[in-house]
Amino acid sequence: MLHSERRSLIRFLVIYLTSTFLLFSIASWVYYTSSKHHLLDKQRELLKYEAQQIQSQLRILHRSEAKKLIYPKIKQVDSAIYDLDKHYIFGTYTPPISLEKRHDKKRLFHLVRIEPYYLGAAYLLVSRPIDFAPIEQLQKHILLFMALAGILFSILGYFLGKLFIEPMRNAMKQMNRFIQDTTHELNTPISTILANIEMIETFGKCKESRAELDRISIASRTLSRIYEDLTYLNLNHDYHRTVVSVNMCELIEERLNYFSAMIEAKKLEIDTDIHTDITLSIDRNDAIRLIDNLLSNAIKYNRIHGNLFLEITQNMFLLRDTGIGIAPKDLTTVLQRFKRANSSEGGFGIGLDIVDQIVRYYGFEFQMTSKENEGTEVIVIWKK
Amino acid sequence: MEKIILIGFYLLNSSLSAQEVHTVENTLEKDCLSCHREQQIPSSLLYKRYLMTYSTKARMEEAMFDYLKDPKKENSIMPSQFFLKFPMKKRSLLDNATLHKDIQNYLKEFDIRKKLLIFNSQ
Repeated sequence: MLHSERRSLIRFLVIYLTSTFLLFSIASWVYYTSSKHHLLDKQRELLKYEAQQIQSQLRILHRSEAKKLIYPKIKQVDSAIYDLDKHYIFGTYTPPISLEKRHDKKRLFHLVRIEPYYLGAAYLLVSRPIDFAPIEQLQKHILLFMALAGILFSILGYFLGKLFIEPMRNAMKQMNRFIQDTTHELNTPISTILANIEMIETFGKCKESRAELDRISIASRTLSRIYEDLTYLNLNHDYHRTVVSVNMCELIEERLNYFSAMIEAKKLEIDTDIHTDITLSIDRNDAIRLIDNLLSNAIKYNRIHGNLFLEITQNMFLLRDTGIGIAPKDLTTVLQRFKRANSSEGGFGIGLDIVDQIVRYYGFEFQMTSKENEGTEVIVIWKK
Repeated sequence: MEKIILIGFYLLNSSLSAQEVHTVENTLEKDCLSCHREQQIPSSLLYKRYLMTYSTKARMEEAMFDYLKDPKKENSIMPSQFFLKFPMKKRSLLDNATLHKDIQNYLKEFDIRKKLLIFNSQ
């Protein structure tokens, strides 16, 4: 699975599962609250029956002629009687402050109106401890249901996600295949052109058309680099890197030489501060793509007779040009694929994306500062 | 010497308080209960009738006062048939304050709270 596909799938799953979870949580909460009330109501029905028993005993007590009246008591049930003004008369427990309370955290309450007022009682408040066993059972059932629903919807979401990204995957496959075919078809003519230019240069033929030959050479090398970039992007996900110790000084000299025709065409002045024997553990092709894309931009967007400054130390590589620069608003997005801050020159906007990928892969740090119409400075730091 | 005076003062005070309680009881006894007993009117049953009808002390006191000041079938706690057999009580000649005091003492005397208790099996 491609990185972008995985990212899309993860995003889809996160949104899908979060919304499903929220929906189920709300539904479960509503169900739990209603079922809990139902369970409490069932327990309250029992309490009502017990209240009736106490009420009938109050009637008997009221008629009793005994000197001492034993207040009725039922196991686990507490009760208290109140007069018409809701003042406490007598009871088996300390009554709550509010008579209207239906339940608290531990107990259920039931208030009964009594008439006539046996023993002066106009209200009877009965209370019993809440039986938490069925409520805990209900909680367990809901949690189990949520867990099972979570598993089921995760599996469903995964397959749905795969189903949804299938068209995107096919489109990407087709595009990759097209790029692969195109680049493959481009490779042979470009190589032929470059080989022939080298032969002409080697054998000193066609001296009178030197300028035209140089332009053909530049155009062919540009094409060749685009081919290399496209191949790199296309194979990036399954590209096997061979990390070796690369002499960066030699590599930069080699790449400057590669771009010499473009540099000459722009009549750029090159200043370098290159320390000797600087090596870096990197795949050689990655290093070439990194240097080439930065150099190519610095040359392409530089002005005629501009300046190009290169510095390479043990820790970093710095490249400064005197080109058109990048607007501040574009500085943050310029690393994205197909993003182009300026369309004055040719290209697909994939160069800095490749740079960004390489920098992130090796854990380097990339800094870019720019001022419009003054120039751009890029720094790649590989050792801290 | 001071101790003797203090003890003397305490004894005098205690005797006065006891006498006051005794006087209050005597007033209730004299003004109400003695007559009730004589006419075989069960005071505790009357109290229960009032209690069952009016519930609170304040309401009971008000109802008793109204009846004693102006006894008639409408404000009596007894059913109307009762008066077919027994004559209507004469209105009380006691002054309002005394009558209130007597009623309060009556309610205190027969207060249902005093009779109620919780039976603990343990």
